[in-house]
Amino acid sequence: MEKIAHFFKSFLLIELLKGMAVTGKHLFSHKITVHYPEEKTPQSFRFRGLHAQRRYANGEERCIGCKLCEAVCPALAIKIEVAERSDGSRRTTQYDIDLTKCIFCGFCEESCPVDAIVETRVLEYHGEKRGDLYYTKPMLLAVGEKHEAQIAKDRASDAKYR
Amino acid sequence: MINIEIDGKRIETENGTTVIEAAHKAGISIPHFCYHKKLSIAANCRMCLVQVEKAPKPLPACATPVTEGMKVFTASEQAVKAQKGVMEFLLVNHPLDCPICDQGGECMLQDMSVGYGGGASRYHEEKRTVLSKDIGPLVSAEEMSRCINCTRCVRFGAEIAGQMEMGQAFRGEHAEIMTFVSGTVNSELSGNMIDLCPVGALTSKPFRYKARSWELSRRRSISAHDSLGTSLAVQTKNNHVLRVLPIENEDINECWLSDKDRFAYEGLNSAERLTKPMIKQDGKWQEVEWQVALEYAANGLRHIANGAGAEQIGALATANSTLEELYLLQKLMRGIGSDNVDFRLRQSDFSADDKQQGTPWLGMPIADISRLDSVLIVGSFLRKDHPLLAARIRQAVKKGAQANIIHSVDDDLLMKVANKTIVAPDALVAALSQVAQALDAEKNGKAQTASAGAVAIAKSLSCGGCVAVLLGNFAQQHPQAAQLQALAQQIAALSNGKFGFIGEAANSVGGYLAHATPGTKGLNAASMLATPRKAYVLLNVEAELDTANPQQAIAAMQSADLVIAMSAYKHHATSYADVLLPIAPFTETSGTFVSTEGRVQSFKGAVKPLGEARPAWKVLRVLGNLLKISGFDQDTSEAVRDEALKGVDVAAKLSNTISAIDTNAVSAAGGLQRVSDVPIYATDAVVRRSAPLQATVDAATPQAWLHSEELKKLGVQVGATVKVSQGQGSVSIAAAADDKLPRGVVRVAAGHAATAALGAMFGTITVERA
Repeated sequence: MEKIAHFFKSFLLIELLKGMAVTGKHLFSHKITVHYPEEKTPQSFRFRGLHAQRRYANGEERCIGCKLCEAVCPALAIKIEVAERSDGSRRTTQYDIDLTKCIFCGFCEESCPVDAIVETRVLEYHGEKRGDLYYTKPMLLAVGEKHEAQIAKDRASDAKYR
Repeated sequence: MINIEIDGKRIETENGTTVIEAAHKAGISIPHFCYHKKLSIAANCRMCLVQVEKAPKPLPACATPVTEGMKVFTASEQAVKAQKGVMEFLLVNHPLDCPICDQGGECMLQDMSVGYGGGASRYHEEKRTVLSKDIGPLVSAEEMSRCINCTRCVRFGAEIAGQMEMGQAFRGEHAEIMTFVSGTVNSELSGNMIDLCPVGALTSKPFRYKARSWELSRRRSISAHDSLGTSLAVQTKNNHVLRVLPIENEDINECWLSDKDRFAYEGLNSAERLTKPMIKQDGKWQEVEWQVALEYAANGLRHIANGAGAEQIGALATANSTLEELYLLQKLMRGIGSDNVDFRLRQSDFSADDKQQGTPWLGMPIADISRLDSVLIVGSFLRKDHPLLAARIRQAVKKGAQANIIHSVDDDLLMKVANKTIVAPDALVAALSQVAQALDAEKNGKAQTASAGAVAIAKSLSCGGCVAVLLGNFAQQHPQAAQLQALAQQIAALSNGKFGFIGEAANSVGGYLAHATPGTKGLNAASMLATPRKAYVLLNVEAELDTANPQQAIAAMQSADLVIAMSAYKHHATSYADVLLPIAPFTETSGTFVSTEGRVQSFKGAVKPLGEARPAWKVLRVLGNLLKISGFDQDTSEAVRDEALKGVDVAAKLSNTISAIDTNAVSAAGGLQRVSDVPIYATDAVVRRSAPLQATVDAATPQAWLHSEELKKLGVQVGATVKVSQGQGSVSIAAAADDKLPRGVVRVAAGHAATAALGAMFGTITVERA
């Protein structure tokens, strides 16, 4: 009996038609492919991309050099040097993130008491040499200045869950 | 003994102890801020509240003495509620600026609030602000809003440092800690307030914002700046020494550290550091490779040894050099054939050398000083030369000991002094022999012929308890040092006490153990400079600052054909040396110091040597090899130490006993006599370059101190510039009045660039109107 069933199945190409049916269904269904870079997938406001250093509205940099991010960084990607600025405040003289080491865990942002170091939604950045991905303080501040509106909006959206 | 129960644990404790002491001894921790085992009880932070059975309210564990059958609960509902409440109150006015606070990460308040506090504060009103204060170059009171008013700093000043420089003013919410009267904290122990402060209100000024506590690595080391052998932790980051902290050692430094040891590290990386070997050619200094410099030095020494004779070579080292360095230096000199080696650069009387049976030392363990009943301190600027020893004696005096002083100046020791005799330096021996005479009369029932002061001291020393006679730096540098020693021995014998020397520098005992002293044929430090040699090897020496007679030393250096200076710093040596070999200071080399109580303590380097500097023992080793002297094949400093101390029973060698000595009376020349101290922050090369220490009041430019009557005689106003001259040299410094000085005496500090043109530390000196 089983032999007869097998004979008809292979003679009538049922398996093939089943497969073709799946193909046919997807041929006419709604497409999920995104035409990157023309199209982009939606991002969460908690997206952890390129790092940025923020400033206050008056232009003062937020970072006070507490080094908590440096201490918490599991990949040891952050390097900070601190000195007293002429006005007596504690400021960084060096704030580097080695993005080739970074694992984008977001701990730096979590640990920051003044929301100075943040991870933006930016994921499209590249370097032509290894060294290009070693971000220094001016580079991070520049990223922050460029995306401040988005950063501030994202922090506000997340605030109610904290 | 009393039986109590803490958290269900039965504890047997002595009567009179407090609950917190009993708990700590039993390993039960009770949170606290104002309580400190070395300070009096204030019970004002209320953090240590515990529940005690039958007590209606929680009691402060630090101020509650134990009673028989007491039952204490440190974690009961009532205790926890009390601790949580206190914590919330303490945080009401605390700024919570932990991210920028230097104390962050090592803060008691941080730890306690995590351990015993609540999760959030209910206080949303404005916090109080306390204005910042500038209290000197060492301690920062920049953020006084952080203060929780525990008053540890106030009690430290009053009880340990002996002067109450900090105090709490105003009441209630307005209460704040501030300096009293004077604007600054000038104690030589002030740095301990930084350690004591449980929050970040008092922090180290030089360390401000330099590093977070978790970034620092910690290395054990030994103090190189005084003779106690204080245990300390050198904290480093990126091969830089960033901080020095005490390590608790009850037998030596308890839990304290003098400012000199704490802040000297700032001089380690000064711009004056020598980082490459240099030789002088045609009057110009050139940086060269080690090989070139060492060969130049070795050839020069060989040339002089073969030509003028090995006895024309002299070696001088400071007593801050390690045992290994001193041992190899003397071995090198003796290998060349010269016996001229010495480390006692500021000493002027060497007549005890062949009468001294052992190695001079403190005569007792440091810890025993706390148990003294009467002590006679001869010729010591105690507070400035040995700050921690002074603190120990201060504690002993508080417990009832009597301090007696014989000296040429009457500086405030910040303790009760029972009797004092202040005489000119040339009368010091006479004053001490009066005491011996009075003591003899007292003991043998003879009629007292000595002066009233001497009799009073003798009475104090014959109390029958634990007695000691201590000779300070001034007594050791005195031109009649051997006589002072013999008299001290006599007095100690008459009073059944001990006598000893408070060592001048870190390795004052080690130098003897390393044989860095001239043999019978050799010349000592003074005669090496008085009869100039053709070549000198200097180890850590700044000739114009580290010697008893700078004028003579400089003249000797300048007339020498070859001066090999092994130094960590470029300094005045550039004007007389021919070769400068950069060597590593104590944080960059391994080595051994033998403290004044004879404790042999080795330490390892905390950081790598700066630039091309090398540990001096390695440099000396290579010099030995280049000169083809046998026995210079040690691979480690431990090997050098073991060789130096091989078969040496250090404890058996320590002895101050001196056989009969010739009395050498100092000719009583007319005119003024010089009394010189080496200021606290001018004692060695590292300290002299520490910028924060040099900014303190203690490091002020030396003045010529005279009795106001003497000033009147000279017709000089206080503050006017006077010309002080000795020999061919003279300096212009300000005149100052000190009516506690004996007449006929001028106090002019030595070891300072401003007075380096003067001559011997003792002797006649002229002061005239400039």
